[in-house]
Order: sequence, then structure tokens, then C-alpha cells
Amino acid sequence: MFYDLNVPWSDNSRELQRTIAFLDELGYDTVALAHTLTGRLPADLLIWPPQTPPIPSPLPFPTSRRLRILRRCNISLTDAATNHRIPQLQKHYDIVAARPTDEKTLAQACTNLDVDLISLDLTQRFEKHFKFPMLGAAITRGVKIELCYSQALLSSDPNAKRNLIGNATQLIRVSRGRGLVFSSEAKSVLGIRAPSDVINLASVWGLGHERGKDGLTKEPRAVVEFARLKRTSFKGVVDVIYGGEKAVEEKETGKKATNAQKRKAASMESTPVSLSEQEKPASKRQQKRNKKAQEESEKEKADE
Amino acid sequence: MVRVKNRYLTVNYLYTGQSRASNKNDATFPELLQFHQPTPDDFTAGKLVRAIRDGVLELFGDYGLGMVNTGLKVTYHSTATSTSIIRCPQAHYEMVWAALTFMTKLPKPNDAPVVVRVVRVSGTIKKAEEEVIRRARDLILRAKMAEAGRAEAGLVTNMLTAVDTSAHKEREREKQVLVDVDMDSAEENESESD
Repeated sequence: MFYDLNVPWSDNSRELQRTIAFLDELGYDTVALAHTLTGRLPADLLIWPPQTPPIPSPLPFPTSRRLRILRRCNISLTDAATNHRIPQLQKHYDIVAARPTDEKTLAQACTNLDVDLISLDLTQRFEKHFKFPMLGAAITRGVKIELCYSQALLSSDPNAKRNLIGNATQLIRVSRGRGLVFSSEAKSVLGIRAPSDVINLASVWGLGHERGKDGLTKEPRAVVEFARLKRTSFKGVVDVIYGGEKAVEEKETGKKATNAQKRKAASMESTPVSLSEQEKPASKRQQKRNKKAQEESEKEKADE
Repeated sequence: MVRVKNRYLTVNYLYTGQSRASNKNDATFPELLQFHQPTPDDFTAGKLVRAIRDGVLELFGDYGLGMVNTGLKVTYHSTATSTSIIRCPQAHYEMVWAALTFMTKLPKPNDAPVVVRVVRVSGTIKKAEEEVIRRARDLILRAKMAEAGRAEAGLVTNMLTAVDTSAHKEREREKQVLVDVDMDSAEENESESD
């Protein structure tokens, strides 16, 4: 299972379709299409096009069954004080990632923000070296650090490549190889590389083969699953698998539907054993009592 | 053992398929074949070696080029199937691989955008060649499946059987040679990528 968690969403659907087909060809199984947001977020988040990926018509490719597509949002953190409305974003996107631009925002993202990934623009030079306590705090919380490799590959600026290599090497050293995720940030087909190529690049920069492979399989899977659990279950423990059917039939009987389906999880249809009738099966104690009562009544009858 | 050990990288060239497909060809020319287009013929083995040398020089400097240069050779190069087998010293194959990964377009004057993908790393050239054959066959099979139900399916089946018989003949020939070579290469170890 290879993951590429950062494929920028583009309005040119032909290009995007080609990119996704290429990813599928190279062997990736899960792809996340990413939207980038900067600055203050508007109050109404529903006006966007990101809802389009689930709709198959703009992206027709035959292997969509094998490829799983997720939606992701990158928040560019320029100011530490703005309200990012992360809970609302979490409702609309499968993955929410932060892109800090300086020290303070990086510290905030690592320790406080409830994001799923921290993504750093590695083609910029950072003034200070990365420190282990800060990144370690993020990793223990479950927030992974993401390295995007395609900008340096494609850019014409010679410094971009050097910065990428320097920053990537530093990150690998500071994080001791754990908690890293590799993804392309490829705007076109050219920026994408096969999983083995990425693992080899990581190995050249100091990350062993095993850890490199983890960076493409195990760590992104952790991010995706963790994000999913955050959204659909209560602290990862309780999950509503089947909440019961909507009260359409109840209307016919004239009863008020509201009370009947007030607590979804408590409804009888949510028990794993499917019952054809609406009766609860008698508990074992009750069954014993019934049996005993039956026997006694029979005994009495026999006595009479 | 004072033996020079090599690694053989099997490499595929993948194209974006942009210039080829005009809008009306969208439905008919499957993307699989677009990505695995044949390479233009002026991209010779010599140009490839020069491109790798430039890449290694740019990424790893004079040190890298010195380490890699002696053992660098292109043993197989096919523009029709967009495949190459490149020999490089065992200790520094990762450098050559990284240089290939950083390649974004074919060298001048062609300048076509390309994605280079290393498909297999092996210690013997035999396994590298087998991989090339296997890949070509798989590609034909997949193209055939992608175009299932169309008139060309018959043509593709013929192509498939042709590759099959030629691969079989090649294997027979190799088996006769193999017994001699085997003793020497018994200690060569292979590493597989993918």
C-alpha cells in the first residue's frame, strides 16, 4: 500500500486525471487531493469545488476501484494568532495539514493545533536548525512531518534543490527517522516518482531502507487512519457502525418519530445480531424464570 | 576477492503523453500506452551516459563523478521499448540512481519531458535482461486487456505470442550457456527493488 498524500488539486481536470492515472501506473494505492488555504477562512466553507472528487464524472479512469482518493486541505500558517476553524475543516476534508512558515507557527503547529500533518516548504532556508523536542512533541501526539519532493525536482532555481537536500537531511537526523511521511507535491505528471525512487532518495539523504519504506506505507497509513478515527468515532474507542434506519415507517403508525429514534446507538437495529421482530430476546435470567414458572404451573396442573 | 562488483539498473522512461494526444484522440489512445511511449531515436546510449555523468556531477560533484565514472556503462538501450540497462559500481549505485531520479527531460536537442523509473537493481545482467523481457510482455498483456473487445485484440495476441516464443528461444539458448557461467557467478548477490 503506497500513499501519496499531497497532490495539489487543479482545475484543469485533464491534467489532474493524467496525474492520477500516472500515480496509479507507478503503483500508488491511495492519493489525497489537496487544497491550499491562506489567511482568514471565510465563514461559509461549502461553496468550494473540493466536493467534486467523489463525483466520478470529471475524473473518469478505469482503475478507480483500486485507487482510493481522499480530500485534503493545507492551511498556510502565516500568523500565529488567527483562528483556523479546524473543526469545521475537519468535517469537509479527510486530512487537514498545516504549513508553518516560521518558528512560532511551527511551534504552535507542533504542540497545539489539531492537524493531521505538518508540511514544511523545504525549498526555503530556515534560520534556525530544527530541534528535536519540538518535533518530538508533534510525533508523540501523532502528528507526522511531511517531506514533499517534487518542487526541488522541477524548479529551475538551483537553490531549491540544495535547500531541499539540506532541510531533508536535517529533518531525518533530528526526527531520528520516525514520524516522516514522503509525498510529492506534483502539479503535473513530471513531478511524480515511483515509490522505489523516493525510497532511494531518502536513503541517499541518510534514512535507511526500512524507514524509507515506512515513510511511504506505514506512516501515511497511520495519518489517514488517525484522521478517520478523529472524525468518525469517540476517541477511537466507540464507533457507530449502523445507526438504525430513518423513521419512515413510524409515520404511518401515527407515532411520533422523534422520540423513537432519539438515541441512534441505543436503537435495537444497532445490535449486531439482526432480529426480524422488534422484540428484545429475553435475557437468560428471564428465560430461566419463565421456564421455572412454566414448570411450576405444569406441576400445579398435574397436582390438581 | 579482488573482483569488481557491479550493479545493473533496469530503467524505464515514462512520458507525460501530452504532446501526442490531441483532444479527439482521448478515448481511443489509452493512457497506459501514452505513458510507455517509445523514445525518440536520437536519444542514443552515448547521450544517456553523458546525461548520467552530468547529473552525478551536478548532485555529487567531482567526488561522485570520480567514484562512478569507471564502472558506468550502458549495456542495453532500446528506444522502441524505452528501456535501458545501466551498469554502475556496486558501492555507489545509489548515486547513479539518484541522478536518474533527478532527470526531468531528455538531453538537448530533444528536451522532451520524461520521468525515469528504475525498475530493478540486480547483480547479474541475466536477471536484468529477464526483467526487461518480463516487463515488455506484461505491458503488452495489459494493453491488450485495456483494449479488450476492440478489433486490434487479434493483432495484440499475435504480438504476445511472438514475444513469448522469442523469449522461450532466448531462454533455451541461455540454458546452454548458463552451466558454464554459473560457477563464477555463484557468489554474486542480487538486490531487488520494487
